[in-house]
Amino acid sequence: MTANVLSRVAERVYWLGRYLERAESSARLITVNTNLIMDLPVRLPLGWRPLIDITGSGELFESLYGKGNATERNVCRFLATDTRNPGSIINSIVGVRDNARTVRENMPRITFEYINELYLFARSALVPGQSRSRRGEALTRISRLAQQLEGFLSQNMLHDAHWELLRLGNYIERADMTTRIIDVRTVDLIAGHHELEPFQDIQWRSVLRSFYAMQAYHASVREPVDPPLVLQFLFNDERLPRSYLRCLNSVRRSLRELPRNGVAVDACNEALRALHDTDVARLGGMVHSVELHHFINDCQVHLGELHDAIVSTYFG
Amino acid sequence: MTIDWQAYQAAGFHDELVLASGRARNGAGKLVQALGKLSDDELAERKMAADLAIRSMGITFSVYHEGANIDREWPFDIVPRLILKREWDEIARGLKQRVRALNAFIDDVYHHRRSLRDGVVPEDYVMKSREYRSRCAGIDPPYGVWSNVCGSDLVRDADGSLYVLEDNLRVPSGVSYMLENRAVMKRVFPELFEHYAIHPVDDYPSELAACLRSLSPRDVRAPRIVVLTPGIYNSAYFEHAYLALEMAAELVEGPDLVVGDDDCVYMRTIGGLERVDVIYRRIDDLFLDPRAFRKDSMLGVPGLMRAWQAGNVALANAPGCGVADDKVIYTYVPDMIRYFLGEEPILANVPSYRCAEKDHRDYVLDNLQDLVVKPANESGGYGMLIGPHSTRRQRDEFVRVIRANPRNYIGQPTLTLSTAPTLAGSTVEPRHLDLRPFILSGKDVYVTTGGLTRVAMRKGSIVVNSSQGGGSKDTWVVERATKEQTP
Repeated sequence: MTANVLSRVAERVYWLGRYLERAESSARLITVNTNLIMDLPVRLPLGWRPLIDITGSGELFESLYGKGNATERNVCRFLATDTRNPGSIINSIVGVRDNARTVRENMPRITFEYINELYLFARSALVPGQSRSRRGEALTRISRLAQQLEGFLSQNMLHDAHWELLRLGNYIERADMTTRIIDVRTVDLIAGHHELEPFQDIQWRSVLRSFYAMQAYHASVREPVDPPLVLQFLFNDERLPRSYLRCLNSVRRSLRELPRNGVAVDACNEALRALHDTDVARLGGMVHSVELHHFINDCQVHLGELHDAIVSTYFG
Repeated sequence: MTIDWQAYQAAGFHDELVLASGRARNGAGKLVQALGKLSDDELAERKMAADLAIRSMGITFSVYHEGANIDREWPFDIVPRLILKREWDEIARGLKQRVRALNAFIDDVYHHRRSLRDGVVPEDYVMKSREYRSRCAGIDPPYGVWSNVCGSDLVRDADGSLYVLEDNLRVPSGVSYMLENRAVMKRVFPELFEHYAIHPVDDYPSELAACLRSLSPRDVRAPRIVVLTPGIYNSAYFEHAYLALEMAAELVEGPDLVVGDDDCVYMRTIGGLERVDVIYRRIDDLFLDPRAFRKDSMLGVPGLMRAWQAGNVALANAPGCGVADDKVIYTYVPDMIRYFLGEEPILANVPSYRCAEKDHRDYVLDNLQDLVVKPANESGGYGMLIGPHSTRRQRDEFVRVIRANPRNYIGQPTLTLSTAPTLAGSTVEPRHLDLRPFILSGKDVYVTTGGLTRVAMRKGSIVVNSSQGGGSKDTWVVERATKEQTP
């Protein structure tokens, strides 16, 4: 156990982990939504708006683009290249880069080159209003470069306290994103549109695809796509790297490698207890029940407390 | 086409590698020969390999340009500069002597002022120096050493004689580039290393760490050493990070440190507060402690001077050491050596005129066109007048500033700095250069083997500062293993 990571450096590394995860999942999100839209009839309402809701930035979006303007062009611009949106992909990558700049000496030297490559690519390849195919290529590559960077760090940086802090950032962001995606993606697109019922399946498939987890679901659950089972899988399957349970367990594992972890481990245990005490599958019995939404709200609150505990213990 | 050494024109200059006849200087034969064998393509290839190595190794320096700080790649010339070991040993002896005298002088200034009373250096110059810190009076840094890391600039004039141009006693930079230049050369010209017994330079970080450890106020096995940097926007940040990494020290910024009620310094870590023993500070005195000096400093640590005065933390270099870094005080260093050490100076000063003294001032004002005029406390080559390259208007301006504040200026003859072959397009041309060795003083005294050779990349220019278009070369201190050869 190393105790001598500077608080300032710890904070930078943690945010590096969060921004990197955020850039990657945002890129994935847009890609999956593009595919979903292509699989659904044009008449379907709420095509792009859910992405704004997933990122919790409805107000900012409306102030910049106006109400009811959640077109593909606007939403993609807002999420990918708009520097006025603090959570946009480009800003997340800038966040990765800025944080990495000050902690260069705590990672393998070549890391900064990878990060710079990611930044330069994103800046040149993401252009507002570009065609779906161009956008798709760019996002796929960004997602890959980000994953490559995570893989590189995993394989090459010393697995010391810096590493654990990076993982904390990764997993807390990932847990956050997982619950947000489930929350918004399970909004009933179909209700009141009887002619669209055949497409309900596609919606739930897209939930799984948002996590690259279609095959994993079949391999793990061995049943057809069914809402309660999908929820159970995404929340509770420890073998799925992006499941909420797995994220929390990973956070706890990393915390245990750090000093003075009492308050943060308690906060993590609280989040795990809430998950344990909830019958997630039952919540999924009725598509987008109010209860599921409430439960996800609780998850968000727990993650917020976990984050606060980390901030006050380590970065103060 | 290849390099044509017969056509190499360093006429009127002392060239470090090639004699006026076009023959290689003593010891440089193999090098000149090997370079002469490279075709244009091969030469271009090596140059590209060096650029690539610098980029991939991330060797940069920051410059402030058009309102933004940007990282520039380090300008590097692939032709090394050579110094014979025998000559170097003498230089190193001279540097040690010089730094010992300088530290004795600073210690005297802050204690008994014996040398001032005895008239070695006029008291008035010292007490009115911008770098004199009254708060430092009576403090006893370990071993009486105030400048633990000194970087002295050496130049050679047209006749080959060597001078100390200035002593950077405060926060000299450049040593990381000395180390990186060698690493790049090994990648680019591995075969050259077969012909020469080149003395290694890479022991510097461990020597620096040992020097800093020897300053620790606590007698513990592994004292905690930190490098205090102003942050990523400082032009030398690369070096701060580099040295911290190489020494396994912590790289900290002011807000990372806190002075406790016990007057000890701690750093904020994820494990809580951790005691700090030695601070290698790379920020200026006046920014060290907003309570003691500049109140608006965001870079420093409130209470740091108190902790230092209480002897609970070592600061390298010690605050106040800049009093001997003043260019007017510089002119007295040979006298200091005689006074404090009872020895004759091994290394010469550049002859200097103090504008505060009437006859000197009159001479300077009458000969501005031929002289270099320097302000007492600037660095980086700023605020200087280079007479032969100056305009009428610039000279008139200097007449005004010298008369307004004569204490602040010295004049020196314009030296014709020595040159070395430097790649220019597909051939080599002479470019002027200097040399900055680094001297470490703690429990022991250590001098780098060679140092950082800085080279003015522009033809005819004698400004070698990286902020003003200077580059650098690897510096080889070699045993004379080969016979003189004609290329």
